[in-house]
Amino acid sequence: MEHAFVVVTNNPLVGKDLGEMKFVEGSYEDVLIKVRDLVYEGHQLISHPLGASMRMLFSPYRSVLVGAERSETSEVYALTIESSMDTFRRSTANRNVDHVNADDYARIDLELLKEAIKEHGIIQREKIQEVQ
Amino acid sequence: MNLELRKIEIKDVVFGEVPGVKDGVLTVCKQDIIDELMEDVNVKSIKVDIAKPGEKTRIIPVKDVIQPRIKVEGKGNGFPGVTSEMVQLGSGKVNVLDGVAVVTIGDIVGFQEGVIDMWGEGAKWTPFSKTLNIVVDIEPVEGLDPHTHEATVRVAGLKAAEFIGKAGKEAEAGVVDKYEMDDIFTETSKYPDLPKVAYVEMLISQGLLHDGYIYGVNSGKILPTLIHPNEELDGAVISGNCVAACDKITTYQHQNNSAILDLYNRHGKDINFVGVILTPELTTLEGKFRTCDYTAKLCRTLGVDGVVVSEEGYGNPDSDLLMICKRLEDSGIKTVLITDECSGWDGMSQPLADTTPEAVAVISTGNVSHVVELEPADRVIGSAEAIATLAGGWEGCLKEDGSMVCELNAVIGATSEIGYHNLTVELY
Repeated sequence: MEHAFVVVTNNPLVGKDLGEMKFVEGSYEDVLIKVRDLVYEGHQLISHPLGASMRMLFSPYRSVLVGAERSETSEVYALTIESSMDTFRRSTANRNVDHVNADDYARIDLELLKEAIKEHGIIQREKIQEVQ
Repeated sequence: MNLELRKIEIKDVVFGEVPGVKDGVLTVCKQDIIDELMEDVNVKSIKVDIAKPGEKTRIIPVKDVIQPRIKVEGKGNGFPGVTSEMVQLGSGKVNVLDGVAVVTIGDIVGFQEGVIDMWGEGAKWTPFSKTLNIVVDIEPVEGLDPHTHEATVRVAGLKAAEFIGKAGKEAEAGVVDKYEMDDIFTETSKYPDLPKVAYVEMLISQGLLHDGYIYGVNSGKILPTLIHPNEELDGAVISGNCVAACDKITTYQHQNNSAILDLYNRHGKDINFVGVILTPELTTLEGKFRTCDYTAKLCRTLGVDGVVVSEEGYGNPDSDLLMICKRLEDSGIKTVLITDECSGWDGMSQPLADTTPEAVAVISTGNVSHVVELEPADRVIGSAEAIATLAGGWEGCLKEDGSMVCELNAVIGATSEIGYHNLTVELY
């Protein structure tokens, strides 16, 4: 199993100390588009592109983990990112991005990203604690 | 296991000096509650209020709702592993202050919503508009890291419910619900011809403000696990969620899990209810594959004929829900899913973030995008900033008369995916 990863993010709080990063100058949707492109280029989709609640879809920020290496494009990952983009667009069509609480979304996105990295089992707990 | 939930019907709640129940009136001592919760050095201040059904009162942002109880016979008062020493739950006699809820508020992040309106249109959509709510507003000391902040508020709510529950110790119970179930082999020998059915309860398990706890253990750290239904009814499962207002499972809803109660009600009649599997909803796809495989394996190991699966949340958990469904159906196990849907303001869009052709028996608990209009409150318990967030969903949702339009996803328990809510299903 490939363990090396890249963080695709537009969250300014995400630092390079967490690992390799592709910073997206843009919106949550732009992050999803970048992830989609990487998945079609053959990168593994490590963390799910969507959060676990409606409220997190109104976040200005999102971080997603993809594999660092390329191989054949995976149908499972392609379907997951495509359906996630479709869900994102449908769910946010009538909604404003919640910029008022942007700082809090950035903090929570960072915390959830750290959990995803821990879950992926790549970097040790000590390293996570260093960046807290 | 043999559990008795002894319901003490409470018709009113008042503040007073001596806690207790008399003629259906619960007296709670505000200062005692404050003193109890202030023992935690991380708590800066506590406010306690009462909100009653019909009052023009809005509670926001709600973190958790908990039913106050006391165990009067057997071990395991409170929430073992969290507020009290670890013991096995699921047996004994418990006095329940029926009709009362402890509602905790306190914004950990600015975008928390979670509204309970005690009157009007808003009250129609949340089950906690009908309970007598003892609202505990918890302000932690400054400088806590967000994880400690969340834990402080979560544990304070559980302690408050345990403390208030003591008032029911000597009270006379009305309805007594008995839950008795032996091991799977014994039950199956009693009902050899009934189909064996398990209940899979999915729990958001993704990190800060997105966690569930089992005997105090973060559900994100476990493989799917089998528990006796009595354990959950006795307080083994606790909510750590703050952001999925409409479909997070509050601790109160775990204590009164409708799916468990309905399956129990049919146990020995037309099904043989074999138990509950708690399944974490993880963030990574590999994690999801592992937990979904493991859940299906547990069901096969139990030899069940059918499974009911309930989701928690919306978005990436939809993938887990449907992967579990596919794995079970592919194993020849009939599967029923309980979920809410995000199908747009008009209810016409695709409801879930994922699909699978094996999902042929799906119960919808409501559309999280359904739009409701909330009129201004006379009294707000909680935070004005949270109302501003609630009112900032889109252009024009705050009206000139102060009323606002929001989606159901802001209303606590509005589309409960374990069915503990006010909506029902109409067949066409």
